[in-house]
Amino acid sequence: MSVRELFRRKLDGAEIIPDPVVSAKLMRTLARREFVRFNPARFNVYYLGGLLVAAITSGIMLFSEKENSLQPDSQSGLETKENIIIVEPFELPEGKAVLKDSGDKPDVVKEPDIKKNKSQKNTKTGNEAESKSVQSDRNPINPSGINETFSKKALVSDPSANTGKLMGRNLIGETLIETSALSGCVPLKLHFSTSISSFDSCYWTFGDGGFSNKKSTDWIFDLEGEYNVGLKLYSGGELKASSSKVIIVHPRPQARFEITPEKPVLPDDEIRFLNYSANGMKYKWSFGDGTYSDLFEPMHRYARYSNYNVKLVVSSDFGCSDSLIVMNAFSGSEYFISFPNAFIPNPDGPSGGFYSSKSDESGQVFHPASSGVTDYQLRIFSKLGILVFESSDVNIGWDGYFKGQMANPGVYIWKVRGNFRNGESFVKMGDVTLLRH
Amino acid sequence: MMSDQQIIEGCARHDRKAQQVLYDQYSRFLLGICLRYASDKAEAEDILQESFLKIFFNIKDFSGTGSFIGWLRKVAVNTAITHYHKNLKYRYHVEIEEYVSVETGVTSFEEDFFNSEELFKVMNELPPGYRMVFNLYAVEGYKHKEIAEILGIDTNTSKSQYSRAKAVIRDKLEKLGKLKSSYTENG
Repeated sequence: MSVRELFRRKLDGAEIIPDPVVSAKLMRTLARREFVRFNPARFNVYYLGGLLVAAITSGIMLFSEKENSLQPDSQSGLETKENIIIVEPFELPEGKAVLKDSGDKPDVVKEPDIKKNKSQKNTKTGNEAESKSVQSDRNPINPSGINETFSKKALVSDPSANTGKLMGRNLIGETLIETSALSGCVPLKLHFSTSISSFDSCYWTFGDGGFSNKKSTDWIFDLEGEYNVGLKLYSGGELKASSSKVIIVHPRPQARFEITPEKPVLPDDEIRFLNYSANGMKYKWSFGDGTYSDLFEPMHRYARYSNYNVKLVVSSDFGCSDSLIVMNAFSGSEYFISFPNAFIPNPDGPSGGFYSSKSDESGQVFHPASSGVTDYQLRIFSKLGILVFESSDVNIGWDGYFKGQMANPGVYIWKVRGNFRNGESFVKMGDVTLLRH
Repeated sequence: MMSDQQIIEGCARHDRKAQQVLYDQYSRFLLGICLRYASDKAEAEDILQESFLKIFFNIKDFSGTGSFIGWLRKVAVNTAITHYHKNLKYRYHVEIEEYVSVETGVTSFEEDFFNSEELFKVMNELPPGYRMVFNLYAVEGYKHKEIAEILGIDTNTSKSQYSRAKAVIRDKLEKLGKLKSSYTENG
């Protein structure tokens, strides 16, 4: 029997008993996947969503009805409030609470009339610092507890929302949400707490998808924007109070700059600072040599070579600032010295060795190309070891003449030593060929 | 006792009981398939679970024509192939001793000499690529051309991998056989 037949006969249709754990795990996974899959015949996440929307809509309708009955000439400010309230209950835990309510005590959502008729109403001007509208619910059903469902918010942009209202037996006159600040620069770390203590559990939402169940908590907003921070207090499984506050997180400017020329030679080159900062309004430059500038893109000339730390502080209208320091900004400067390997002396006579890029276009003087050289000593020897030229000035090269006569064509050895302005020293040696026309 | 038809209808309604019956009835058979494609039982059970999820969610697509067990088998094999692709790390990795092993020695084996547990073990020890090709060709009965398409390899690769897999298996079986006969001799 071949291998193929052997395996086919033995293994095809073979049965292995799976671990009992597999079955349980499979069923759990199945239940989870079924829940997130749409299926009209089964309770799943879509149904839950639908239920939530229904519950919330009826809740909002109830709320707005009460608002209207309380203040018939309702203004646009009220609508803003309502909009904010719509946003919050989409959070799942709130949804759970609503579901629970509608199951255990259907009066909340399904019997709005009872509540509306029986709830006590009174008005009172609220805290001027925050606009608030406070409303009590379900007094007849549970008269002993804290029954207030109220919402508060600081609407910075909406002056019409400044008229506060307070309804029902609300004992909480002050802020439900206590925070260390209402605005700040990103990343903004705030401390949230509440002065209320008569609740079983609380639920914070921070408007950026985050939440917390702690009574007081720190939260860091790491992106700019306006965040509606909400707090819901539960007692005995029921929502007792809710409130929200708008936190404004200002963008932080970004300090960015570049230095040009890229490899400057100090102090010869004038340095230009290119500003690429974002969201800035004010700029303060510190060049590291004790001088400052407030210009957007300043130019600066340093008095001498050194390693400077250049700092830029950018600040925005909201008082947010950012800084960038470039340490040793000019350490990458280009200091170099290099020599050619051939030259043709001027046959008309010695020139004295003075050169510049213009006067020595034809390469009649042997001299280095260099940058940032301070101390310098060049010696040139013939093959026999005779010193034919010496210079301690980088600006004077060899014109090819020795004792008034043009030196013989051939190879000469040069040796140079010295220092760069950054303190680095150099020693180099090489040969150069003297050519003749 | 539920009939296949009842199970299928129940599962299509996502009836928990029908799903459990389906699992109880076919999990052993399907695990037998999965184990051929896996390197150990845990991996086989992973493939089994994934297969059942596919079965439960796609059972309404089962047309009813053809055998139900054949459909289940196909789902399991396809899942194993997907699993293989997902876990393909050393695509061109072939152990050198396996590469040079040549087809020599015994070409025929007695069916009763090896039990299926031993054969599963031999199968599990194969490199994944060999196992895949050998399973699909020798047990499932696919053509080399089909295997090449399924695994995204060349037809010739499928052929050569199959013959190498065969050689490795033969080698392993021979060793196993010798081991066994030495037991019987001593015992």
